[in-house]
Amino acid sequence: MAEFVKYIDVTKCDGCRACMVACKNWNDLPAEHTDFLGSVQSHTKTTADTWNVLQYIEHENSKGGLEYLFRHSSCFHCTDAACQKVCPESAISYTDFGSVVIDQDKCVGCGYCVQNCPFEVISLKEYKDKNGETYRKSHKCTMCTDRLEEGLQPACVTTCHTGAMEFGKKDEMIRKAEKRVSEIRGRFPNTMVYNPPGVGGTHTVYVLAERPSVYGLPENPKVPTSAVVWKDYAQPIGKMMLGATTMAVVAGFVSNKLFNKGGHGHGEEGGEDYE
Amino acid sequence: MVELNLSRRQFLKLSGATAATLAIVELGFDDKRAYAKTKEFKIAKTTVTPTICCYCGVGCGILVHTKKNEVVYTEGDPDNPINEGKLCSKGTTLRQLYTSEKRLTKPLYRAPGSSKWEEKDWGWMLDTIAKRTKDTRDASFVEVENGITVNKTEKIASLGGAALDNEETYLLAKLMRGLGITYLEHQARI
Repeated sequence: MAEFVKYIDVTKCDGCRACMVACKNWNDLPAEHTDFLGSVQSHTKTTADTWNVLQYIEHENSKGGLEYLFRHSSCFHCTDAACQKVCPESAISYTDFGSVVIDQDKCVGCGYCVQNCPFEVISLKEYKDKNGETYRKSHKCTMCTDRLEEGLQPACVTTCHTGAMEFGKKDEMIRKAEKRVSEIRGRFPNTMVYNPPGVGGTHTVYVLAERPSVYGLPENPKVPTSAVVWKDYAQPIGKMMLGATTMAVVAGFVSNKLFNKGGHGHGEEGGEDYE
Repeated sequence: MVELNLSRRQFLKLSGATAATLAIVELGFDDKRAYAKTKEFKIAKTTVTPTICCYCGVGCGILVHTKKNEVVYTEGDPDNPINEGKLCSKGTTLRQLYTSEKRLTKPLYRAPGSSKWEEKDWGWMLDTIAKRTKDTRDASFVEVENGITVNKTEKIASLGGAALDNEETYLLAKLMRGLGITYLEHQARI
């Protein structure tokens, strides 16, 4: 299947926040109490109940003029996702569309993904079970994978009235992004396509008006080395050892049962017979 | 060397046990398949009704998805030529008009000078509005001003809203002019 990406041209965004509301509407996410942050922005960052947040940035450009920049911020759906790497329960996986999703049934709420996400888009939510015990689950944007499976577009893309967001085939969208960058370079000299190679490229591709750091984004995000060591080396070896040990125990038990029927009584004594 | 003295039966038993152990311990069951497809698509079995957004004068088309008389989802109507499936942040919240706990379902009346709202029925409300409108109009009606026939009242004003459609606005203006009201105002101008 062709890879699909969400393409966001921040220079077309008018900051109406319909994407935020559409996300809550589709995913049935509750409202949150927010405080005045000194700007129009409602939430400081994405939370477990707010999977995308519209950033409002007042930026002084190189000519000393004010740029009022907007950015729809949500999960990037990295090709090499740090969250997927660090998840000890394998609860995070890639879909055929390239989106990265969390299996809520498998999530144990350890928070490794929250700590390792280079874009800080995953958050934990606390729940209470019927015994009053608290447990946690991590949440983030799913790229509306349930909608994609039914042939629909993500809710935020569907509602965007300025055409700042589009969803389509990866190469097509990247071509579009590059064309747009060449068009607006006169107006925004620092404009660029943000599709960081450090995480293998992302499935949310931006046309940014300024450098990524202006938007609080890492210039060159990477999957943490500790995550690679943990997932690609430590965990397989650990699993192998665990498997071997378990096998030895089970095999020992089974053969003991099978071959001790002769009425020798205790296992220890029976064992000697075979040596 | 370890020497195993196995009968044929024992050998078969041991092979079977090894295979079963391997299958359980190392290969495991495919639990992914068991988890998949357990959640039903949110708008799979809904009745879809097109409507017009009530919030502003643009008049965007919205599809309302209902299930057993409950509004489960609303989304921009892609077939509507005005918005082509797009919506603003306010229009996207339309579902809350129906589902919100803060929604008013009964007329509330606050008497002049009072700080409390009381529940009243529609009959009482409409009668009272009609009666007071007539009283105010009769008491304040000006037929002639500076020698010119004006037939107006300056004690009543009307405030229209952007959510009113063409026909409603026409009827509203017609009624207000008939009563002699000169202060016809619109919410969008304030």
